[in-house]
Amino acid sequence: MLRAFRFIVDLFTQRHGVVAFAFFLVLGILLREASTQVRESVVESALSTVFYPVQLLASSINDFKNLQAENDHLKAENARLRQETYHASEGLQELARLHTLVRFDDKWDYPIVTSRVVGHNPGRFLTTLVINRGTYHGVKDNMPVMSMNGLVGKISKAMMTHSRVQLLVDPNLKLSVLERRTRVVGFLESMDGHLLSAMIPSHAGVAEGDTLITSGLGGIFPKGIPVGTVRSVRKADLDVMSLMDVEPFQEFSTLEEVFVMQKEPDWIIQELLDE
Amino acid sequence: MSNYGWLRTLLFFVIVFTVQSTVGEWLQILGIGPDFVVIFVVSVALRFGAATGCLWGFLAGFTQDVYAPVEWLGANSIAMTIVGFAVGQLEERFLTLNLPAKVGVLGLAFFVNDMFYFLITGLEKDVVTTLFVTKTVPECLYTLVIGGILFYLSSGKKANV
Repeated sequence: MLRAFRFIVDLFTQRHGVVAFAFFLVLGILLREASTQVRESVVESALSTVFYPVQLLASSINDFKNLQAENDHLKAENARLRQETYHASEGLQELARLHTLVRFDDKWDYPIVTSRVVGHNPGRFLTTLVINRGTYHGVKDNMPVMSMNGLVGKISKAMMTHSRVQLLVDPNLKLSVLERRTRVVGFLESMDGHLLSAMIPSHAGVAEGDTLITSGLGGIFPKGIPVGTVRSVRKADLDVMSLMDVEPFQEFSTLEEVFVMQKEPDWIIQELLDE
Repeated sequence: MSNYGWLRTLLFFVIVFTVQSTVGEWLQILGIGPDFVVIFVVSVALRFGAATGCLWGFLAGFTQDVYAPVEWLGANSIAMTIVGFAVGQLEERFLTLNLPAKVGVLGLAFFVNDMFYFLITGLEKDVVTTLFVTKTVPECLYTLVIGGILFYLSSGKKANV
């Protein structure tokens, strides 16, 4: 056994590591060329086994560091909320009356699963998070994920006890958005896994500082979740469209807790996704 | 590398990724942070040579790939393997590198890693240019400062031993 191990080590270290280099390069190319299904299963296995303990360790250290700051923040918030409770209860009663009057469809009436961020990309391009809630807790693929500040992304893969969250900055996530002031619909994406940009018709006159929310189109995200503010506007390749840089309401690298909205995609979207 | 050496490097590997996920974030200035993973791969490759550099480069890249979009799986693994192999050619057993040279190698490794990563993921030219200016250059400089300090401290420790 030991001899076999030594033989392999000797083989790999021959010719200044050329054999090892070729081996790992081929392994990397195989990963690149594998089908999406194989890639998914590779990532899922790695996340569920080897990396999970390290993720927990890292998130525990982050939690410990943020405990004091969070405590102070919560105390201040508690005092403010106590004051607001009185006014809110009156407002709620009035809102309930108005809802009945206009037959308002409460679009966010979905159960929420609170979860803790237990892992994220240790590299410099943050596009995925891992949370400690999975199918066992009612989380399913494509459910919207948000924080107290705004939209975070969606569940890209729900596993038994944890799930992977595809962040808004993932270049593969494209999202229909609505500008709150002008009510014009556009779409949001990240081309580089780092910055968010939105494409909105020029005639709408969307300006710096305007707010983008989810449009409800696309069937995955409900309407009205805050997404971000427009930081700058410039002409797109097509004159009729404006391209704008968007500052998300939520800084993704500092996320500790997120909320999974138990909203499954509309049936027509679900069929398309299944296909 | 002895069995004890493997274990020690594995522990170092776990610590580096924990540090990158915790301290790496705390050290961020305007969204720019150091890359401890590149420092790790360069250190291991310089210390133990190309074969070991390839192995740990691949493992480090794969760990980053696991948390990246599934469509890009393998991009970091390949880029880091190349870095591990290239830097491993300067193995300290055969060459003695002073601190500025080590920092220079770290900087080159950083650029090589990012260039191969951008190439493999197939990002558009404009996007790569923007990322190069806004991420690669400032983060490389930050990593060089942190890497320089760590190299200096480790060389001092070795000298004392």
